[in-house]
Amino acid sequence: MNYIKKLLKNDNIGYVFVLPALIYMAVFVGYPILSNIVLSLQDVTVRTINSPAKPFIGLNNYVELFQDGVLRTSIVNTFTFTVLCIIFQFTIGFALALVFNNKFSFAKPVRGLIMMPWMIPITITALMYKFMFSSNVGIINFILKSLHIIQQPVDWLTQPGTAMAALIITNVWIGIPFNMILISTGLTTIPDDIYESASIDGANRIQKFFRITVPMLKSTIASVLILGFIYTFKVFDLVYVMTNGGPVNSTQTLSTYSYKMSFDLFKYSQGATIANILFVILFIVSLLYLKIFFAEEGTK
Amino acid sequence: MKRFLVVILALVITVGLLAGCSGKQPSSKTDTGTSTPETDTSGSDKEPASEKKSLTLWYYWETIKHQETLDRVIKDFNSSQDKAEVTARYIPFADFKKVLSIGAAATELPDIVIIDSPDHAAYAAMGIFADLTDKLKDWDGLDQYYEGPINSCKLDGRLYGVPFGSNCLALFYNEDMLKEANCDVPTNWDELRDVAKKTTKDGVFGFAMCCLQNEEGTFNFMPWMWSTGTSSFEINNPNGIKALTFVKDLIEDGSMSKEVINWTQGDVMNQFISGNIAMMINGPWQVPTMREQAPDLNWNVALIPKDAQYASVLGGENFAVIKGDNEDAALEFVKFAADAEKLKSYIDDFGYIAARRDVAETQFTDDAIMKVFIDQLQYAQPRGPHERWPEISNAISLAVNEVITGASTPENAASKAQNTIDGIIGK
Repeated sequence: MNYIKKLLKNDNIGYVFVLPALIYMAVFVGYPILSNIVLSLQDVTVRTINSPAKPFIGLNNYVELFQDGVLRTSIVNTFTFTVLCIIFQFTIGFALALVFNNKFSFAKPVRGLIMMPWMIPITITALMYKFMFSSNVGIINFILKSLHIIQQPVDWLTQPGTAMAALIITNVWIGIPFNMILISTGLTTIPDDIYESASIDGANRIQKFFRITVPMLKSTIASVLILGFIYTFKVFDLVYVMTNGGPVNSTQTLSTYSYKMSFDLFKYSQGATIANILFVILFIVSLLYLKIFFAEEGTK
Repeated sequence: MKRFLVVILALVITVGLLAGCSGKQPSSKTDTGTSTPETDTSGSDKEPASEKKSLTLWYYWETIKHQETLDRVIKDFNSSQDKAEVTARYIPFADFKKVLSIGAAATELPDIVIIDSPDHAAYAAMGIFADLTDKLKDWDGLDQYYEGPINSCKLDGRLYGVPFGSNCLALFYNEDMLKEANCDVPTNWDELRDVAKKTTKDGVFGFAMCCLQNEEGTFNFMPWMWSTGTSSFEINNPNGIKALTFVKDLIEDGSMSKEVINWTQGDVMNQFISGNIAMMINGPWQVPTMREQAPDLNWNVALIPKDAQYASVLGGENFAVIKGDNEDAALEFVKFAADAEKLKSYIDDFGYIAARRDVAETQFTDDAIMKVFIDQLQYAQPRGPHERWPEISNAISLAVNEVITGASTPENAASKAQNTIDGIIGK
């Protein structure tokens, strides 16, 4: 009894308030994760999905998948896709944020319009781009041909190399507003007088950008990059609609491969295994994010 | 402690962000949860014998005409007796396998399903279908079924369903385009290649067929493989390689667009009726749409050109009864719907050919196009059947895609696919 009193007396009471959320997380998040891990250690196929005893095969699924070339391709594809998307999204988003940070007429409505790609459901964007990238009737080939940039139509979605490029272009288009809006919010937190005093000290635009804007935005930039990474890394609908992982697995990502294993090929355990690999990678990235986040907090 | 909190927080953030992706599994569980009331009612009416049993049927036809016709059959059944009441639930084709698999794991299933025939064996292996071998032993319709369709309902020699209706692929051709190029309808591969080349001109491809990297792509490639005389499970032999090479030749001649790897059968049909394609491979279910949308187009249908022998691929659906308390009532519905007289009254509206001889012979007697399909059906073979057909199919459609995109030579693609297939059937 005394112990409980002591427990409730101090700051410890906070733990009690956290409890409902923690229980919720344990049931609705913790359980699926654990059951997914268990599933990846078993051999669950059409023959065993309904039997109570599911053969436990240890890490065999992981070993088997790592020997299979498609998993390696998917990991490489997922990273290529994510890194290239982030680079372009971030650079273009940053540039646009700087432009719209200036006060000029129509800045606000135009900024609102630029948010559009972010708000369109991804399936619709994907279908739209699928038509636009079509080899024979697509508008992109038509424009490139009219400008005499290409002579022959480019087989955007039916050639291994260009299919990935097409996906990246589409996703950059979707992701720019996200980057732009977060960075412009960050920009508004920088007081104008810092720039003023810098001007008085004779700093030019480039110096102001690298010495004031970038350092002041450090934590915003870190959040944008890491959140963007996580968001892009788990891409599913875009790839599923535009290429479904093809041609010849050249755009297969971890999420689409996991789906294909589970629901096209009925290899439930291997599907779960791929999902876990995806999870582990994102978990590491999240840890990184928190480390940066807490480091920032600590210095203040 | 702080470290622990950090880990928990990290978990929370990853999971929160993953919600769109990994959330799929739990969320689809709640999806099937919506069917709980239905299964509940069917479970709770065990005691009162006078009460009607309520049965659920799952299907995936998206065409309005198909849905209306199915509703009519169900209504007839419900009013014909007072023991059971069937309700149908539509599940989109893309989600059908997923919902059924999850339903199987969570034991929340309907009582009857109408399922794509190549998947039948896999679900039978899951043990969710009732074994009908003994129950249908004395049913008089059984010997009327064509061999292909009835075999697709079997696993290890036992019967797990009854064929619903069948279709198969055939060659569609644009009569005007062939006439203009001075060509006859091709009957073998050489002629087909020649006609495809001659009909290809600015903005028109001579030939097209769906080559998606999924079951639909395999479905369209199998006739070529079988035509050489090879089986579903042997691709790495001169015949299998020949079939792959033929597809490659069509692409290299410029007679077939590389975009076929992204075209569904519906897309191929749309290109055909838009006049962008002179010949295509497609199925009878497109015929009503084509007549409606392109009434002025001059087109006709012929057997798929052959290499060593005529071949086509069998498509269609089967009825299956889910294991459980409602097995017998559900089987009554299947027998009702599959009865020869009943079948005759609705199967034409589906654009399907009945899977039983006594009905098929009376169908489409004045429809020249559908007659070709009935003719083609006798050369049609089922895919597999094998409980792991989806994996085998994936290997085959991947090989076709590798050849079309030029990622592999036909020889390499065939040997890779064969390795995968051997690993599956060897087990």
